[in-house]
Amino acid sequence: MAVQTVSPADLSPPAKQTSLWSRIWHNDAPGYLFLLPWLVGFLGLTIGPMVTSLYLSFTDFDLLTAPEWVGANNYIRMLTNDPKFWTSMRVTMFFVIFSVPLKLAFALAVAMLLNRGIRGLPLYRALFYLPSLLGASVAIAILWRQIFAGDGLVNKFLAMFGIIGPSWISNPNYSLWTLIVLSIWQFGSPMIIFLAGLRQIPQDMYEAASLDGASKWRQFVKITLPLLTPVVFFNAIIQTIEAFKSFTPAFIISGGTGNPINSTLFYTLYLYQEAFGFFRMGYASALAWVLLALVGVFTAFSFLTSKYWVHYDD
Amino acid sequence: MTIRVDRRKFLMGSTALAAAGAMGVMPAWAQSEDLRLIFWGGQARADRTNKVTDLFEQAKGGSVQSEFLAWNDYWPKLATQTAGGNAPDVIQMDYRYIVEYAKRNAIAPLDEFVGGALQLADFDQDQLEGGKVDGKLYGISLGANSVAMLMNVTAFEEAGIEPPTNDWTYDDIMTMGEAFKAANVRGGMKLIADGSYNEPMLNNWLRQKGKELYTADGKLAFEEADMVEWFKLWQTMRDAGVCVAPDEQALDTGPLESTMLVSGKAALLPANSNQLVAFQAIMQDKVDMVGHPRIAPGAGGGHYRKPSMFFSVAASSANKERAAEFLNFFISDPEAAKILDVERGIPCLPSTRDVVAPILDEQNLIALNFVSNLGDLLGPLPPPPPAAAGEIDLSLLRVIGQEVGFGARTPEDGAAYFVSEATAILERAA
Repeated sequence: MAVQTVSPADLSPPAKQTSLWSRIWHNDAPGYLFLLPWLVGFLGLTIGPMVTSLYLSFTDFDLLTAPEWVGANNYIRMLTNDPKFWTSMRVTMFFVIFSVPLKLAFALAVAMLLNRGIRGLPLYRALFYLPSLLGASVAIAILWRQIFAGDGLVNKFLAMFGIIGPSWISNPNYSLWTLIVLSIWQFGSPMIIFLAGLRQIPQDMYEAASLDGASKWRQFVKITLPLLTPVVFFNAIIQTIEAFKSFTPAFIISGGTGNPINSTLFYTLYLYQEAFGFFRMGYASALAWVLLALVGVFTAFSFLTSKYWVHYDD
Repeated sequence: MTIRVDRRKFLMGSTALAAAGAMGVMPAWAQSEDLRLIFWGGQARADRTNKVTDLFEQAKGGSVQSEFLAWNDYWPKLATQTAGGNAPDVIQMDYRYIVEYAKRNAIAPLDEFVGGALQLADFDQDQLEGGKVDGKLYGISLGANSVAMLMNVTAFEEAGIEPPTNDWTYDDIMTMGEAFKAANVRGGMKLIADGSYNEPMLNNWLRQKGKELYTADGKLAFEEADMVEWFKLWQTMRDAGVCVAPDEQALDTGPLESTMLVSGKAALLPANSNQLVAFQAIMQDKVDMVGHPRIAPGAGGGHYRKPSMFFSVAASSANKERAAEFLNFFISDPEAAKILDVERGIPCLPSTRDVVAPILDEQNLIALNFVSNLGDLLGPLPPPPPAAAGEIDLSLLRVIGQEVGFGARTPEDGAAYFVSEATAILERAA
């Protein structure tokens, strides 16, 4: 790397105390210049659109004609006069409430299994992580359709036991559950984090406990779980946010409709329909801000309750 | 370690970067003879279209840049480009959207070019009317098509049942369906897909009763009682096992391969006449088409020759005259006609039809004959649907149809809910 020699002039202190602005320029400007590529992206691609979207959420905007200010009408309609809003809210809450705990439990179970020092751990770890990499992809959603269709893999398997299964994916009683199963199957990333957390627990605690005659289950409840709570907390927050944002599987599996009978009409899917199906950008922006607020409230609630159940060993 | 950044060099570099970034989002400097074209469709349509743009470039100079997307992706993209003032010059337009785009001045009236760049003296009158909004011409129809009932002829042969003809009725669905069920072909294939939330099929049925889906001023043009009758009709078929079960039908999410015809769950499927080619291309069995069933022997007028798609010119286009020339070339040039044949529907100029007729393959010939020989099945062109029609179809008819299908609502309840919600949606959009 070419490093230029520093001339003595650069090392000498500033001759005079210059103005404040000049000092800021000399001290901070290079830093901001280095930040510039990120800063431009952050302001232009994140903050800019967010502010615009906040403005649009108070307008009627169909993309073709200029936005028209309607005050809080979008929010009022959402809360008082939009059954689909509540349907999509119910579907999303159901999904979050069932998929997150089940996924975390499954991830923890697999992590415990892998933590017993089996041979070829890196291979297993990679294999179990694979679904997480593929999970949100279009291909997997299409595969899921095939597996859970009326003449799909699941029903062929059930048929061996003489059970004639329904078309899981297109039956309103089961369709959301197939998406929950898909989400649980993508347990890889919380599993990896659990595994790292389990490695942090000192082995001598278990030794001491077993000398005192504690059963495996008791060791799990009294040692593993309490010491793992910071990791559980972290995983729960991340996975909850992910679950609220979940879009691709429902979009692909239902062809963007949220059918059958809106049983898979995720909040994000409804938002997409309003924006790009019916060109109500204003209403869709309002929906997006409500989702942001909701996720914020959930996260804040988790942090507030965390002091009662998360144990940091400090 | 000190790395010195020469301020002047840095500024020059970042300016260049900023300039490069700006170039990327600016429209290419349009020369007066260059055109941009956007359309929906698959690769097969794109290949044909691009060959014609090449022909146009050779014949008239300039360049035509085209891009194509699938139907679902097309409308968001077009709306976004239009909002950004960056819409392509030539836009493929659908009957469902033309009023909305015309009323918002997103597409330009073409009347000033008629007789000049656009030669439409022999153009089919009903197709010309279809492209008009408030008396002004906003779209040139690229072809006519009609709804049709696609049928798996091979499956009918296996069942030993005579396939329907243009004289068949809704009562025939029941008798034919029972016979089909008794024949038990291919592990219980049903006679017909569930059409209870198929908007064009409902429309066809209503038109035979002398009604429509929508009035010209965008209101519902039928009664709640009609809807009750419609849902009950399909419930009878569903209960008798004549049409496919609701959880099978829900697997149809739009793409051809998910339809009941291609997945082998039904022998009949309501679709469009120009789609026969596409269906036959992905099916082993022989596919043919027939009109939608009549509500009673002798009843007709349900079908209409729909402009399958238009070309419109963006209001923001700097080259409207040139765009009109391209449109004229697209619909009338004999070489272009041979390339395009009837993939976008039956051409609307007699001279173009004459060029195309001798070179058609079997499926296209079936489509051409079907649309040309509708006879008393043919009725007048309905008014263009209101802007909210798409929403009512997608988020209301589909959902309520499924609710009735799965038994979550009775036909009476479903019909009442449909009429009240559809009225609310129409009022909100008006």
